[in-house]
Amino acid sequence: MPYLSLLIILPLLAALLVVFLPNRNQTTFRWIALVASLLNFLLTLLLFFRFDKSVAGYQFVEQTDWITLSLGPLGVVSIDYFLGLDGISLPLVLLAGLVLAIGAISSFEIKQKQKAYFALYSLLSASLMGCFVALDLFLFFLFFEFMLLPMYFLIGLWGGERREYASIKFFVYTFLGSIFILLVMIGLYLSVADPVETAVAMGLVPGKELVDANVIADVQNYLQEGRIEADQIVHTFSIPYMAEPGNYLPQSLLNIAADHVLFGQSARMLAFVLVFLGFAVKLPVVPLHTWLPDAHVEAPTPVSVVLAGVLLKIGGYGFIRIAYGLFPDGAIVFAPWLGGLGVLSIVYGALNALAMNDLKRMIAYSSVSHMGFVLLGLASLTSEGVNGALFQMVSHGILSAMLFLIAGVLYTRTHDRQLDSYRGLAARMPGYVTLTAIAFFGSLGLPALSGFIGEFFTIMGAFNSPYLPNWMAPVATLGIVLAAGYFLWTLQRLFFGEFWSKHEAGLLTDVTPRERLMLVPLAALALMLGILPGILLNLTQSTVGEFLKNF
Amino acid sequence: MLSIISLSLFGILNLFLGFLKSRRVLLPATLLFIALAFAANLLDWNHQYVYFRDMLRTNNLFINFSSIILLTTFLTVAISRSFGTDEEHTHPAEYYAIMLFSVVGALMMVGFENLIMLFIGLEILSVSLYVLTGSDKRSLRSNEAALKYFLMGSFATGIFLFGIALVYGATGSFNLSAIGSYVSGGPTTGISPLLYVGLLFILAGMLFKVSAAPFHFWTPDVYDGAPTLFTAFMSTVVKTAGFAALYRLLTVSFTGVYGLWWQVLTGVTVLTLLVGNITAVYQSSVKRMLAYSSVSHAGYLLIAVAAKTPQSPSAILFYSLAYSIATITGFAVLILVAEQKPIEGRPDERYEAFNGLAKRNPLLAFSLAVSMVSLAGIPLTAGFWGKFFVFSTAVDRGMTNMGMVLVVAVLMSVVGVYYYFRVIIASYLKTGDSEPIGIRPLYRFILVLTTALTIGLGLFPDVVRQLF
Repeated sequence: MPYLSLLIILPLLAALLVVFLPNRNQTTFRWIALVASLLNFLLTLLLFFRFDKSVAGYQFVEQTDWITLSLGPLGVVSIDYFLGLDGISLPLVLLAGLVLAIGAISSFEIKQKQKAYFALYSLLSASLMGCFVALDLFLFFLFFEFMLLPMYFLIGLWGGERREYASIKFFVYTFLGSIFILLVMIGLYLSVADPVETAVAMGLVPGKELVDANVIADVQNYLQEGRIEADQIVHTFSIPYMAEPGNYLPQSLLNIAADHVLFGQSARMLAFVLVFLGFAVKLPVVPLHTWLPDAHVEAPTPVSVVLAGVLLKIGGYGFIRIAYGLFPDGAIVFAPWLGGLGVLSIVYGALNALAMNDLKRMIAYSSVSHMGFVLLGLASLTSEGVNGALFQMVSHGILSAMLFLIAGVLYTRTHDRQLDSYRGLAARMPGYVTLTAIAFFGSLGLPALSGFIGEFFTIMGAFNSPYLPNWMAPVATLGIVLAAGYFLWTLQRLFFGEFWSKHEAGLLTDVTPRERLMLVPLAALALMLGILPGILLNLTQSTVGEFLKNF
Repeated sequence: MLSIISLSLFGILNLFLGFLKSRRVLLPATLLFIALAFAANLLDWNHQYVYFRDMLRTNNLFINFSSIILLTTFLTVAISRSFGTDEEHTHPAEYYAIMLFSVVGALMMVGFENLIMLFIGLEILSVSLYVLTGSDKRSLRSNEAALKYFLMGSFATGIFLFGIALVYGATGSFNLSAIGSYVSGGPTTGISPLLYVGLLFILAGMLFKVSAAPFHFWTPDVYDGAPTLFTAFMSTVVKTAGFAALYRLLTVSFTGVYGLWWQVLTGVTVLTLLVGNITAVYQSSVKRMLAYSSVSHAGYLLIAVAAKTPQSPSAILFYSLAYSIATITGFAVLILVAEQKPIEGRPDERYEAFNGLAKRNPLLAFSLAVSMVSLAGIPLTAGFWGKFFVFSTAVDRGMTNMGMVLVVAVLMSVVGVYYYFRVIIASYLKTGDSEPIGIRPLYRFILVLTTALTIGLGLFPDVVRQLF
């Protein structure tokens, strides 16, 4: 059963269905998108139960040839349709399944151009899922790059007043990042050979299925000794092959042993920095974060939810899988820098959040701050830190989705997100207060809620790390203190005291059942992960343990 | 070779068909002629022929390049409508014939084996284009453009010819391989300085034709002034032929002095990329934006030439194909949109004219969006693979040589996203008047075809690459 392909195909089918159905029944479109995303979510749950936690390698692997280009004397380039799942991607796939389903429910509030909206939303879901399961670097890049288009239109067509500015800024920033990745990708494919297909091309074995470990070892030896004709070398984009130094051509640009120098820097270090920058835009890392508040403020609620809940995680996932996975030497050299940038994001994001009067902008900056913990945890290169970073990504995905839904609740009622327009909402919206309080406390790191575990583990990792200076962890905790400051202050300004609002009191009704349907499961999940973090940590630890052996 | 002969004959035939004074015959006849030439062209597949005592050479590379040229000509002719407004001054037969003749010139530029042939091909192409640029006789802008193009073009040709003369003086031959063996053989007296000067002059002339900076100053005015149909023709056919010729000349004859022209070309490349992209951002007219975008694409193509790896020809081929298809689509949509609401009798080519296009005609908006996305080089479109192959040649040449160029190219492709997306923003995100735009079946067919090709090449680039 090709589970992983289904994850991509289901939303794609939904998108096609929406496009080709007649325009008459506008309401059917949202049901199609919702059903597809719910099925997808069930599928991710199925994957969760079928996943073998003790295995560190890839599971549910699917691989078929897609593009094979013969480049004459440069050998052959092979691009595969290659999907797989391991302990690093499974939590994120689960998160994506959940958030996309919640986003589909939240999308019911979209009333204009529904056909285009739900087609784009489904397309976005497909490319997001594809990013997390692709194991061919090219395929990954394709999904990574392709998701920009639906996102661009989702912000640009259904956004707020400055949507054009926000959407093109989002596009240009991330596009710049992905072009950096593209450059490294070209360097990698020129450097890496696929031992299996090369064995077939050399005529060592008649077919791919007959290749065993011995043959691979032989081919790698021949390769290192330079005994393979150039036109028989099959270049590959496969991430697992790229992670093995034995598959690099001797003297190729990114071979560790060759140690090429470009612009006075080691080529591999330069490549690491480029990939890092590419994903740093997505995460986002200060100072590349400025697109995020603009995009969030202008985006409609469901798009904000997906943006914060899933899209940012691709930045973190890219760090682990590609920047760290393929250039472990770079990760060690730059660890203090990355940790420093993480701490900077944490503190700078928090300080900004403190100063914001727009609820969505405040949440956007809190996202910057929380994603800083992910970077700090990864940079520590310790088991606690990396597991914590993965946990923090999932926890932030759940909590930020909640936070943006909460901002959406207020916005749909009054079209005003300014904090100083409201006071004492607690009296009129009791259900809303409870859910907001859970989301806020979860985000500020109250024990027994998921945010605490992520922050605790990443900071612990930073303390234990041999690569990071000692001052970083204490400074990062400053971010938690600031988070407590801005979340509690916001809570106080919005909900406590005498009821007062710029707007008609009648508009401010309590959360509707639909909103409750989205918020309550998220709150329950945040609580569950806070009490039983093992559910997630058990998934990640064996893969992370294997991953850390590279360093 | 058959294609060159047949196109010349068809051009003359076309002139006679003009006596019928019927567009209903002329357009299908011209399309049929081009299709026949295309088929004749393919007959020589996998054969190498040399004609007229080493004047022309045809091989698979020649066929590939000329197929692209013929395909773009076919598309351009198919989207041609009326030439000028009044019957008295429109002569479609002449224009179609001139287009066919100019393609003859372009094919000669692709297959030349002798510098004289290159010069003749270049002149046939250029002179035809001077006429086509000025074909809108009543328009002052068209006249100005034609005169400007003619004056500057003849000046460039003069320099080019001077370069050929100097190279002849140094080597004693017009033949590409003879020059090549002189250059790489290393004559006992050392390479004559005349050759270096000659090479630089030839380069200047060729770079003028493909509108690379700093020889690009004619481009925006000429592209802007010429009737849009011929702008589309110029910016695709001339570029493909020019780059085929440039690459052939530099690799066959001047490989021995790669160190010299590599430096010149990388400098020109960086300048072209910067000028083309940054100036395109500041344009308020889509037509001028596309003109500067064609300058910038000349820059990307130059990367593959300057890299000079075995992969360069196929990279140039693929890039030209992707670029030509997308550019023709862009101009085709521009023609229709601009004619919708003329300002003071002139087509409205500003960005504002595209406002709300998605409502007025979804097909136009969609094919425009696909072509712009392809020009910007975003995956799943042909343009992405073009950029990918071009960048690959540069990385393959080595980062110490091409690193700077790559950095500039990468930054500039991000700038490109900005101005290409302005058109998409206008047609999808802005609201304009809601008058629908109607299109003829052939026009619709061409738009669907080019859009399908752009996406198809983006999904399965290996299909085309296997041919090269």
